[in-house]
Formats: sequence, C-alpha cells, structure tokens
Amino acid sequence: MSKIEDYDMPDELYYHKEHMWAKVEGDKVRVGLNDFSQKLAGEISYIEIPEEGDEVKQDDAVGSYETGKWLGKLYTPVSGEIVSTNEDVEDDPTLMNKDPYGEGWLFEVKMSDPTELDNLMKGEKAIEWLKGEIAKHPKEEK
Amino acid sequence: MYLFNLDKLPGQQSMLFFHLLARMGIEALVIVSPKTPLASVGYFQNAKEEVDLQFCKKANIPVMRRELGGGATYLDENQIFHQVIIKRDNPIFSRKISENYKRFSLPIIETYREFGIETNFRSVNDILTKEGRKIDGEGSGDIGDCFVWVGGILLDFNYKAMSKVLKVPEEKFRDKIYKSMKENLTTMKEELGEVPPREEIKSVLIEKFEKLFGKLEPVELTPRMIKLMENLEKEFTSPVFLFKKTPKMLTGVKIREGVEVIYGMHKAKGGLIRAAQEVEKERINEIDLSGDFTLYPKDCLEGLESNLKGKIRKRSLLDSKIEEFYDKEKVQSPGVASEDFLKAMKVEK
Repeated sequence: MSKIEDYDMPDELYYHKEHMWAKVEGDKVRVGLNDFSQKLAGEISYIEIPEEGDEVKQDDAVGSYETGKWLGKLYTPVSGEIVSTNEDVEDDPTLMNKDPYGEGWLFEVKMSDPTELDNLMKGEKAIEWLKGEIAKHPKEEK
Repeated sequence: MYLFNLDKLPGQQSMLFFHLLARMGIEALVIVSPKTPLASVGYFQNAKEEVDLQFCKKANIPVMRRELGGGATYLDENQIFHQVIIKRDNPIFSRKISENYKRFSLPIIETYREFGIETNFRSVNDILTKEGRKIDGEGSGDIGDCFVWVGGILLDFNYKAMSKVLKVPEEKFRDKIYKSMKENLTTMKEELGEVPPREEIKSVLIEKFEKLFGKLEPVELTPRMIKLMENLEKEFTSPVFLFKKTPKMLTGVKIREGVEVIYGMHKAKGGLIRAAQEVEKERINEIDLSGDFTLYPKDCLEGLESNLKGKIRKRSLLDSKIEEFYDKEKVQSPGVASEDFLKAMKVEK
C-alpha cells in the first residue's frame, strides 16, 4: 500500500482518471471511489449505483453520490455487465469514506474487453498522476 | 467564459438552461430569474415524497427534479439565480467541494455588501447575515464534463408558498416550517426595507464574478438553445425521472445551516406517535407531539412538550426528562413508553 501525502493508494489496483479504482479478479473487476476523492468530497450522504445486469461502457457515468449539497458522478473504469452491487454501501454510503478500498466498494463488472485495462493507470504511473491531482486540488485555498 | 445575462425565462427553463450548457460543455455565468413560480427537488429526492403535488397542481406550479444536490425549494421571480458552469479541468475547479462553495460565494457576499448587507459564508452551502439569517442557499453537481454551482439572491421570499409546496406528514407541521423559515431566513427587502433595482443588482453581481473569472463575454440565448431546452424539459418533468425511486427518505426540512425541522413517526403498541421538532445545533427549540395514542391526564401533552423544549437531543437526558414528567404529573399512557417518544423524535441510541 502506497501513501501519497495523506491518501492511501493500494499498489495492486488500477486507477481511472475520474478517481475510481479497479481491482481485477479473473474476468471480474471490483470498482470503488479512491481515498483522495472521498476525502476531498467529504461525508457521503446518498448514493445511486447501477443495477445488476446493466451493460456499461468504459468511462461512462453510471451512478451518482451526494455530499455537501454536491451531486458527484461515479464512472465505470471498464466496459461489461454489472454482475454484483454492494447493498451495504447503498444502506450506509459513509462506508465509502470509512473504508474506500474495502467495505466501501461499489459494484463489480464482468469485463467485455480486458485490453481496456491498458487505458487505466497502475503503479508508478498512478502515483505520478495522483501527485499531480493533489497539486491541482489543494486542501485549502492558497 | 460566456455571460448569459438573461432577464426572466419561463419557470423550468430558468433551471434547465444550466443543465443544457453543462451537457454542451459551455463554460458560462448565467444570471436569470423564473418568470413564473416553480418547485424544484434535489436529485436524491422523490417529488412525491417531498412536494405537495396536489397543491402545486392547483396553484399551477410545475415541479422539476434537478441534477444537483440539496432539498426541495420554491423558486419565483423574486430570486436572481447565479449559475456557474465550468469544466472540471478548469484550474478554478477544486475536487475539494467545500472549497468551490467558499470561492464562488465570494462574489455573492461582495454583492450583498455593495448594497449594505454584511454576510458570511457558512459551510456547507449557506450565506448568512451577521444576525445568522440565511439570505442565499447554494447547490452544485457534476453534469457532463462540467461542474455546476447555483444559488439565488433573495430579493423577497414567499414564505407562505414555500411552506405550502413542501409535503408534510401532518398539516399542522406546515405552520412550524413557516415560522422557522420566517425566523431563520431573510431577504434584501427585509434587510433594506425595499428591493434595490433588479438591473443594478445584476450588474454588481456580474462585476463581482468578473473579479473571479476575468472579463466575461456577453452572449444571447439562441433559438437552437431554446429548442434543446424544450427537449430537456420533457425529460426533466417526465414521471419516470420525477418520481424515480431514490434512497432519500423524508426526514425533515433544512431551514439554514444548523437549523432544521425534523419529522418523525413511530408506531408504538399503544398507537401512532408523530413528532415535529425545530432543532438548532442539537437543541430542541420547538416540539410538537401528536398521534392517536392515549394519555392521562388528557391535557398533559403540552406539559410534556414544554419539558422537552430547550433540551439537547441527548438520549439519556430526554429519557430522564420524560420519566421525570411522568412521575411528577402521574401520567399514564398504555402501550407508550419513553422509548417510543424517543423513536418518534429520531433520537438515536
């Protein structure tokens, strides 16, 4: 697990530019929101995630969440079919804040095209990208 | 960045326009008022649960769901909306959402100041006067590739209409909302005794936003945009979108940051208990209990309410206050215990 400033970033995950993480397990990908994004967004009050059976396309907005009167979007890092969703996080969206890479996962996609993983970031590339994001979005107004 | 300095648009279009610009990826500041009243619910709200649809239909107030956060609200020509649409890759946008609210509230605070009203930003999304009354509420969201931030300068406010638009579990709660809004909200008219000329306010607002965004390029609404907005209107007012099942439950109405009216209901063995409370920073300002349970002596409910007023919503404290009152007044309530009142009042364990 890497820690970039205050933000956790597990090394084994892929990262999407809209701050989603993707954990590959065979042909399935488990998806969630990364630590950086949940920390900056604040406590999440409501969430809407896709339903099982939905067909989704890489980079599409497939769900929403609300925090501090802001409606944010959730994106899918890969294309495929939604094969499972996390009911616990629907009941308690703060799981996304408390445990973004564990209990706060959102949905699982059965990949239709595993080569799409090449469009995501991992390892050093992901770390460099996050450092850039941290610099772009400072914690407090300078 | 463009400037759409519009006058008044038909009710829903005044809210639909920023949705359209964001979907088109056009960065702009929009200044607009609704020509006719409308009610708007937040994305995570179901219009059926939040709005008195019967009243709205009778009063000819259209209801629309917006693609932004926040709660149900009543909008009319006495509000000047300021709508900011920027791309999420614009350096002025921050993923720290509270930072955007703080930053974009500055031109609003400066505008009020120009007219002699001192205000401050209060996290999460309110602008309050020095006396702590809300004079501008804001909401935001990501739409397409853009971040949208909207709010409204309150020239005047129709408290009566707002309290009628909101759905309440029981009619008498409506009065509580009305009174709470009267106490906690204010307007330019209330602060200054009169409303300054609309054009003057708009011009100051634009000038203050230009300090933040740089010179804005004034543009007109095109016939194509109007056509596209009409298409969007069908989508946003369709029953499928408006009554979409959402996880948000009707629990109360936020009046301003720190003050809310909370509703609760609990079916005890001895009958249904309803509770409406005005709560300020966890303290009960007002409480109204009702239902179909039986209480002896019959007229002691008011006494119980008085005993709970002014108390912090702490379970152990409220529990002891209820027990104390029962002992002192020799109250009997078959099938209803202190625990049942606490459940109706949504006091968590």
